[in-house]
Amino acid sequence: MYIDSHVFRRVSLARLAIAAVLMLYVSILPIAAGQQALDLGGSPKDPLKEAPGKVVVLVFVRTDCPISNRYAPLLQEMSVKYGRAAAFWLVFPDKNESPESIRSYLREFNYKLPALRDPEHVLVKKSGAKVTPEVVVFNLRRDLVYHGRIDNLYRDLGKARRTATTHELADAIEAASQGVAPPSAAAEGVGCFISDLK
Amino acid sequence: MTRRRHAVAAVALSFGLVVAASLQSKPVPFPQAHSTMVRPQVTFNRDVAPILFRYCAGCHRPGEAGPFPLLTYKDAVSHARQIAAVTQSKFMPPWLPEPGDFKLADELRLSDRQIELIAKWVEGGAMEGAASDLPPHPNFVEGWQIGRPDLIIKAEKPCLLPAKGTDQYWNFIFRTPVNQTRWLKAMEIRPGDKRVVHHANVLVDRMQSARLQESSPGAGFAGMELKIESEAFDPDSHFLFWKPGTVPYTEPDGMALRLDAGTDLVLNIHLQPSGKQEWIQPSLGLYFTDRPAKRFPMLVQLDNDRKIDIPPGVKDFIVTDEFTVPEEVELLAIYPHAHYLGRDLRAFATYPDGMKKSLIHIPQWNLNWQAVYRYAMPVDLPKGTVVSMRYSYDNSDENPLNPNDPPKRVTAGNSSSDEMAHLWLQLLPRGASSEANDPRRVLQEAMARHNVEKNPADFEARYNLAAMLQARGELSEAMKHYELALQLRPEDATANNAFAAAYIAASHPDEAIKYLAAALRSRPDYFDAHYNLGTALAIQGDFKGAVEHFRAAVRLNPQDANAEANLGGALAETGNWKEARAHLVRALAIDPNNTLARENLEQVRRESAHDNE
Repeated sequence: MYIDSHVFRRVSLARLAIAAVLMLYVSILPIAAGQQALDLGGSPKDPLKEAPGKVVVLVFVRTDCPISNRYAPLLQEMSVKYGRAAAFWLVFPDKNESPESIRSYLREFNYKLPALRDPEHVLVKKSGAKVTPEVVVFNLRRDLVYHGRIDNLYRDLGKARRTATTHELADAIEAASQGVAPPSAAAEGVGCFISDLK
Repeated sequence: MTRRRHAVAAVALSFGLVVAASLQSKPVPFPQAHSTMVRPQVTFNRDVAPILFRYCAGCHRPGEAGPFPLLTYKDAVSHARQIAAVTQSKFMPPWLPEPGDFKLADELRLSDRQIELIAKWVEGGAMEGAASDLPPHPNFVEGWQIGRPDLIIKAEKPCLLPAKGTDQYWNFIFRTPVNQTRWLKAMEIRPGDKRVVHHANVLVDRMQSARLQESSPGAGFAGMELKIESEAFDPDSHFLFWKPGTVPYTEPDGMALRLDAGTDLVLNIHLQPSGKQEWIQPSLGLYFTDRPAKRFPMLVQLDNDRKIDIPPGVKDFIVTDEFTVPEEVELLAIYPHAHYLGRDLRAFATYPDGMKKSLIHIPQWNLNWQAVYRYAMPVDLPKGTVVSMRYSYDNSDENPLNPNDPPKRVTAGNSSSDEMAHLWLQLLPRGASSEANDPRRVLQEAMARHNVEKNPADFEARYNLAAMLQARGELSEAMKHYELALQLRPEDATANNAFAAAYIAASHPDEAIKYLAAALRSRPDYFDAHYNLGTALAIQGDFKGAVEHFRAAVRLNPQDANAEANLGGALAETGNWKEARAHLVRALAIDPNNTLARENLEQVRRESAHDNE
């Protein structure tokens, strides 16, 4: 009996501790919400917890970056083509970009992808993204297996090839969805600096 | 128990981190430089805003070509590192020429000090600075840049720029709605959405020759390079060019461009897909003056496309051309042109005393930022000065703009994967200009001879020289060159027609008829050939045949008074007084001063009255 009661007390102590944890979280909730990416409704959203069984592709974009804009048709097409294997998310790291302006941007560029705001750069840090456009691919276990350019269309700012000749994002999705490592783990992107958006 | 306590402690710790992170993300976006203690801090308001306002905001403002505005501190700070990087790499502002021996107008080049200031601003934390330091906001004119145009013409049909794909080149033909000759002192090109238009050029098409390439009237047509046919002597004289951020150039008094009824303005436009579909429907704003042209500049082209045959992998393929100026001229503006392999473009003037000066040097050519460069002051080129061009091409895979991956052999051509080596000069002859002794003829003929010497098998060079000789009245020499031109292209309608015209002038209508028949076999709807054939047949006394071809001419160009007058004359010769009179009256309705029509009509009245007696 003593043993039982002892156990009981420990459990109740533990419950107290949990209650304390919950209270703490409640008190810091507004700040904690800022520590996550948000969907356009303003709710926290962790894209890595979504779409189990699919590769996750985060695409960092900026509405005023002409290079990421130029990729809109390709990204939209790829999200459809790889729809069974990969869940695409557009991530807007500019904290000044409102959900309304993002919605109208999505309409303008014919995007059907879900969009996230990342005002505190939680996903930027997790991904190591440097420029827009840049993509990050997480495999089924949610390990980061590729980050960098979509393809090699741009060699430098203002210097685009006629067409891309390497397709790093497509390669990474195909590899990751089959559970193997992509041919390259990273390739530097050309675009607009995310570091300007702190 | 200990484990649970750990949990609580961990929560407290993460709480602390959250606060720290949120504080960190707030006020100071950039690390402070240590040097700010010793020298005054570079600020936006005092140091950076004046640079952005002068060099960047012209395009980086709403409605213009720049992808984002750079008008406020907030605008600039959210692109600060990017601005520092692109100014350091000289990607921005887009200005290709190096400083040279002659200053160019409206230079958009930052000094090393300005570039360093921007870099220091970013290193120092991109501070805003004191509000009192901010210069006045730049005043930009909205809409038409030099006031409301006298006439605005809009492209009849828009062109669709797809959301994705490679660069597009499109030509719009504007049918000028003027019914008499007007003098154009300026033109504003409004290309449509400026974010997708890299540059635009207007070519004056006095013979409506570009229309032949349209599938239906007003449809426009694709193509990067455009060729306009012109009359034997009517050289293009002005650059009509638009690039982002430009205010239209107003020609000085006496240098207006002649715009006749029936002249087409062809807008050649370079578009880059933006990620969304765009309809492009440009407008032209025309500004007229009452003062006709008294000084006649001329566009002269150095080129050596024939020498372009660049093996894959070659990094420094050189193409040159040089032209000796046959009389004293002023160089007003210069327009170097190559496609994507062009790397280092230079032009020089070597004076008669041997001194050599750089006219322009573009060390990192980029077709996307091509432009017409006007000199701040005209450059005097005395007679005997040699103008030369030296272009270097990089066909290796190190050229980031190489359209072929892997590189392949590239030759000259009009498409963007072909190459070109052109240098256009706007030259103003110093000598007095008169109809009889136009110094432009001397220039043009010298250029034509240069081209024929450079490439004896060049049909166009041969044809142009012949046409110029014909215009100068050197009939026999002209005919020699026409003949050589026709050996190169026996079926060319224009050359056959011109050769025939020379035969008519030389009183050999019988020979002319053969060549006109050839011209019409190649181009059945060729107004000039029908007109000339009508003339040749009439000279031979075959008025029935003449009527047939003058009728065709009138059908093809109902507004041509001479064709109507000749049709009337030929009908009269066949005794068809009634119809003859109708066409002569019609000719006079088109042009009341048409002497031929008036004389023919008087004669018809006399002779038909005589017949009736």
